[in-house]
Parts: sequence; C-alpha cells; structure tokens
Amino acid sequence: MLKKGKQKKSFVVLLAILMAVSLALSACTKSKTAEPGSTSPAASGGSPAAASEAPKKKVEIQFWNPFTGDGATHLDSVMAKFNESQNEISVKTLSNQDSQKQLTAISGGSAPDLVITYWNNIGPWSAAGAVRQLDDLIQRDGYDTTQIIPAALDRMKVDGKVYGFPISMSMANKLLYNRKMFEDAGITAPPETLEEMFDIAKKLTQKDDKGNIVQMGFIPDYPWIDNVFWPIIFGGSWVDSNGKLTANQKANVDSIAYQAQYYKEFGEDAIAKFKSGMGGLETPQDPILTGKLAMMIGWENWYVKKRGEGKEIGVAPFPYPQAHPELKGSGMVSPVAMFIPAKAKHPEESWKVIQYLVSEDVQIEYNTLQGSIPILLKALDNPKLTQNEETKPMWEYYESAKNPNLKGFPNSIYINEYLQALNEETEKALKGQISAQEAMDNVVKKIQPIADKK
Amino acid sequence: MTARKQRERKRLRAGLLFISPWLFGFLVFQLSPILMSLYYSLTEYNLFTSPKWVGFANYAEMAKDSKMYLSLYNTMFITVFGLFPQLAYALAVALLLNRNVKGLSLYRTIYFLPTLVPAVAGSLLWMWLLNAQYGLINQVLGAIGLPEPNWLMDAHWLKPSLILMGFWGTGTTTIMYLAALQDVPKMYYEAASIDGASAWHKFRHITLPAISPMTLFLVIMGLIGSFQYFSQGYVFAESNNQSIGGPENAILFYAIYLYQNAFSFLKMGYASAMAWLLFVIVFILTIVVFKSSSKWVFYGGDR
Repeated sequence: MLKKGKQKKSFVVLLAILMAVSLALSACTKSKTAEPGSTSPAASGGSPAAASEAPKKKVEIQFWNPFTGDGATHLDSVMAKFNESQNEISVKTLSNQDSQKQLTAISGGSAPDLVITYWNNIGPWSAAGAVRQLDDLIQRDGYDTTQIIPAALDRMKVDGKVYGFPISMSMANKLLYNRKMFEDAGITAPPETLEEMFDIAKKLTQKDDKGNIVQMGFIPDYPWIDNVFWPIIFGGSWVDSNGKLTANQKANVDSIAYQAQYYKEFGEDAIAKFKSGMGGLETPQDPILTGKLAMMIGWENWYVKKRGEGKEIGVAPFPYPQAHPELKGSGMVSPVAMFIPAKAKHPEESWKVIQYLVSEDVQIEYNTLQGSIPILLKALDNPKLTQNEETKPMWEYYESAKNPNLKGFPNSIYINEYLQALNEETEKALKGQISAQEAMDNVVKKIQPIADKK
Repeated sequence: MTARKQRERKRLRAGLLFISPWLFGFLVFQLSPILMSLYYSLTEYNLFTSPKWVGFANYAEMAKDSKMYLSLYNTMFITVFGLFPQLAYALAVALLLNRNVKGLSLYRTIYFLPTLVPAVAGSLLWMWLLNAQYGLINQVLGAIGLPEPNWLMDAHWLKPSLILMGFWGTGTTTIMYLAALQDVPKMYYEAASIDGASAWHKFRHITLPAISPMTLFLVIMGLIGSFQYFSQGYVFAESNNQSIGGPENAILFYAIYLYQNAFSFLKMGYASAMAWLLFVIVFILTIVVFKSSSKWVFYGGDR
C-alpha cells in the first residue's frame, strides 16, 4: 500500500516536470511564431504613433559588426556622435561578431537589432527568412534609392527586393604597377588593353639559367582566384532575368581563357613555384614592393600610402579587352552590408540608424576613417573628399566609382555554392586540366539544378 | 522480499539523485542534440525557418555527391598514412625517453612542448617551414640533393604536408605510451635475458604485447580524432588565400566539407546527414578494431 502510494507520488512529480517542460517549449515556439508578425507593415507603422503618446523612453539598439581593431573603433566613434545627436535611440555597438556568431544569434531567436555583415550573406540569409525586407519602409518614407551607387545597392537585392543597405564599399577596378620595374624595362606607360598587358607581362617576366622564374609581369590569380572580377572585366554575367545561369556564355569563358593564357605561356609549375616564394600581401616581402611582381589587380585599400603620383606604385585604370572599348572602366564592387534581422525588436529605430549611416556627412566621415568608398553618389563629388589632401590616394577611386561599368556578383540563396563551384572549375582551367569552356559548362551543369530548386 | 526491493529502489533513487547533474547535462546537452541532428538529417533545414521533412533525400543526395566521396578519401588518406606512422613514431620516442639517461625529464618536457602549441598557431608556423622556396625543410632537402616539393600549393603534397606536421604534435601519445612502458614488469625482461633473447625479441614479444591495451586505446581515439580532422586543413587553405579545401580540394576533409555545408551553404539537414554517416563509419571501424583486438591485445593475467 505504502509502496503504491509512493510510486504514484513520484509519477505525479514526473508528470508535473514534463508538463512544465512542454509548456516552456510551447511558449518558446509561440513567441517565435508571433514575432515575425511585428515586422509587418501595419505593426511597424503603428509603433511611432504609440511612442508619441507615452513619455518617450530611449530605445536601445543592439548593433553588431564583425570588425576588430580600428574598423570597430571607427564605427564606434560614428555611433557615439549619433547617440549624442538625439535622445530617442541609444545604439550599443558590439564588435568582433563574425558570420557564425551572427548566424547563431539570429537562428537562436535572440537577434540583434542591426547587423553589419559581408554582402554575400544577404542572399542565403534573406532567402532563409532571417532578414527583414526593407521595401515597405523605403516606400513609406519615400527614400530615394537611386542616390546609392547601383552596383553597391544591387548586392543588397535578392530577386529585386532590398534586404539591406551598403555602409561602405570596396572596389577592384585599377591596375597597380611597380614604377621602377616599368622604367627598367623601358616601358613608358601602363597598358590600356588586356592584349597590351599580356605583352608587357611577357617583357617583365624573367627566368634564371635553371629555368626558374625570378620575376613576373602579372599573375591573374594573385592574390586569389577571382571569379567575380575577371568576368566583369570581359562584360560577363552570371544569371539572366529568367533565372538561367550564364556563367558559360562567351564573355565569361573568354575571361577564364585569358587568365589561362598566362599559365600556358609561363608554365603552371613554374608559376606555382614562383608564387610559393612570394611574401604576403602588404608585408615587407610583398612581391610588388620588392620588385618581384610588376602588375596586379588594384583594390582601393591596398598600398594607400605607397601609391599615386611620385610614389613607388603607379595606378591606372584596369585594362579592357581590345575588341570592347565600351567596357572601359569596368570593375568589381564589394560592399559591406547592414541589415535588420527579421526577428529584431525595433525595426523602426534600426531603420532610422541605417538612414543616418547612409546620410552624406556620415558617409564621408565613416569612409574617410575606414579608407573605403562612400556608397552615396553625391558624396563622391563632395569637396570634403575631393579636395581633402589626406584622401588624395583615393581621389581617382572616388571618381571611377561613378562608372556604370562597375558590377558585382548577383546575390541569391545559392551564392556560396555558385562561387565555390566557379572557384573549383576556374582552378582546373588555369591549370590546363580542362578548357575554359568545359570549366564553365561544368559550373552551370552543377549549379543550375540548385538554382532551379530554390 | 519486498523490503529488499524497497531498499534497492531507495538506493537507486539516491544514486540517480547523486548523478543527476551529470544526467541532466547528458540528456540536455548531449543526447538531445544528437537525437535532434538525427531528425534534422531527415529534413531540409536552413537554420532559420522550421525544418521540412524530406525523408532520406539527404542520404540519397550524399550517395551522389562526388565531393563527399573526395572528402572521405582525403580523410581516409590522412588516417591511414598519418595516424599509424604517427603512433609508431610516438612509440619510438617513448622507447627512447624510457631509457635511463641523464636529464630525462628535460627531454620529456622538450618532446611534449609542441603539443601545447594551438593547432592554428602550429599550422602557421609550419607553413613557414614548408615554404617551397625559403622554407627550412626544402633547404635541407635541397642540400642533400632531394627534390623540393611545392608543399603548400601542389595538390599532391598538401596532405603529406599536414601529415608531416602531425608528427610534431604527438606529445600526448608519447606520454601515454611512456606510462604504459613503465608498467611493464621488469622480471619479464630479466627472464628473457636469461633465456638469451635479443633486444628485438624482447621488444616484439614482451614490450609490444604488454602495451597492446594502450595501443588499442590510442588507435580508437586516433581514429575518432582523425575522422574529425579540421583546424589544420582549414587554416592551411585560409591563410594561403585559397578557398575552403585548398587547391583541387586536396585538403577538403570530411569535417571541413560538413562545416561548409552547414554554415556557408546553410544546408543544415545535409550536414546532419553527413554527421550521421561519419558516426556510422567511426562506429563500424571501432567495432572492427574491438573485434580484432582479441587477436592482438593482451591484458595482464590473460593468455
């Protein structure tokens, strides 16, 4: 009798625990399903009205970024000014939050209010429903998106819808060259076309008596295989308006074949060996500083203090294909993105912070600090930039940032798989294992089914 | 009878209560994630939206995924050509450290030190040693007239590079072997000496069997570790400005490909399925090793 009673008691306790657990769980799922509703236009439209009735309480915005060191400090200083400038919103920045930490926080349900991330996360994350679409806010407030550099804003779009804003951008559209090497070889001007560049590269490449390369004119995949930059230079694209992948069209294939040409000319093993002895980018052993490499693709944030008039590294527009002069000034844009997580609690306030960050003065201040390019078209002509001696190495980048030939890789849910496949197949083509056409056909064959599925 | 049962029940309850912190941790932090991953492996799941049931589609896709096979091959390669030579090396070092020479504890410390270097830092250091033109290793190879491979860029030499680096981190294994060696009763050797056994015979017929339980343990732990090989391969590709997997995916290991699927491609369901395949493979290999152990592992007192 006693035994039975005890058993019953412990059974009851067990049941109680189970119920408590399941209640807690269901509460979790409920709050999860309820939250996306708050991001609907109606709810977000209502909140400012409600705020004006009650005595205003400062809204705290958690603003995450992946930066460390100076990058983080620069953002902090800009946000400190914002916090001082008004008393509705208080922004708390948190640096060193890389993609994986962001992913964990957002999928775990405790999303920050505003996040800075790499632009290629926008595609997969938005398709997965983690990113708040911004078109309703843009329309409601009549925000003019045409004032943003199109190539930068396009990276924030998935299927034509805006999921984020660029805060700054980087750009590869120049040729950097070692002036002394050019002079020593009697070359008076940087190449204008890709064909000229190949000839100059041949002149500037030297081998020792054992056949080892000791100096190279140009290495197309230094410092990395660039499967976005090169097709853009040839006027290529990756997907058409019907969702058909275009990586194997002529322009793209030409861009791979052009790079492979260097490997054919100088030998795959020889280049690989030469590369293995090159020092790291922007270290004292950097090959373009030490005179081992004559030319390279030029991003705006490389060799800032060592390039330009009278400096050791010359800057020129990146060459274009001779047959396509209309592609002059082409280049690749890589913006840094900010977005509002779908489950963020204060989308209205976050939207205000975004607008602050893309306003002209803030853009100029922030990008001058970071050494990057403002994403606002009118800022590119602002005398605070164009007549500021401190930003002189950037002037020609500011100017060329207006060029409509600037492009980028289309954002999508399968972007990382697409880029990975392009990388793998381009590598095979460079090594001469398969032809450029075969390589790009392989990519389309592999990725088209994934693109169709999603 | 009932009194005894009652007492037993009471003791069981007390026991469970005492281990309840562990029990709680095990259920919440180990068993439930494991079971969840089994569930996720049967779904399409991108971390953000709720998982969609797809049955065995992930496993079917895996069977057709050539990169999965490649990553499995790379992992097997590093296990076969890395784990076993490294065990042999660790044993050799342990045998040396087991001799009675002056300053023994100093040697032991020195041989163990590299183990304390974190995997990432060690990898970066080794990338300098392996530099094809200026690295110490190729300078030595060149000096004695051997070919100087392009360790970090040639797809054929990347895995050997990593294996080479692995020898450096065998300190823990060495220490464990050393402990086992010191447990071998001296009288066996004395008896063998009286019978006129050579040093090789003593090693072959006394030392090896006597430390075989330790070998069994190290083989199993090594197998598990080797199949989860990640950091070094990831760092090698990353700091060479290569994409994940390195040139021609030569160092795309199973765990790295799993990670890429999960966090770059957001294919959490597929990654979970890969994790379960990994689990099954390691499980089967462990059983095989265990079954075979009756033939080559000797415990004190048995046989």
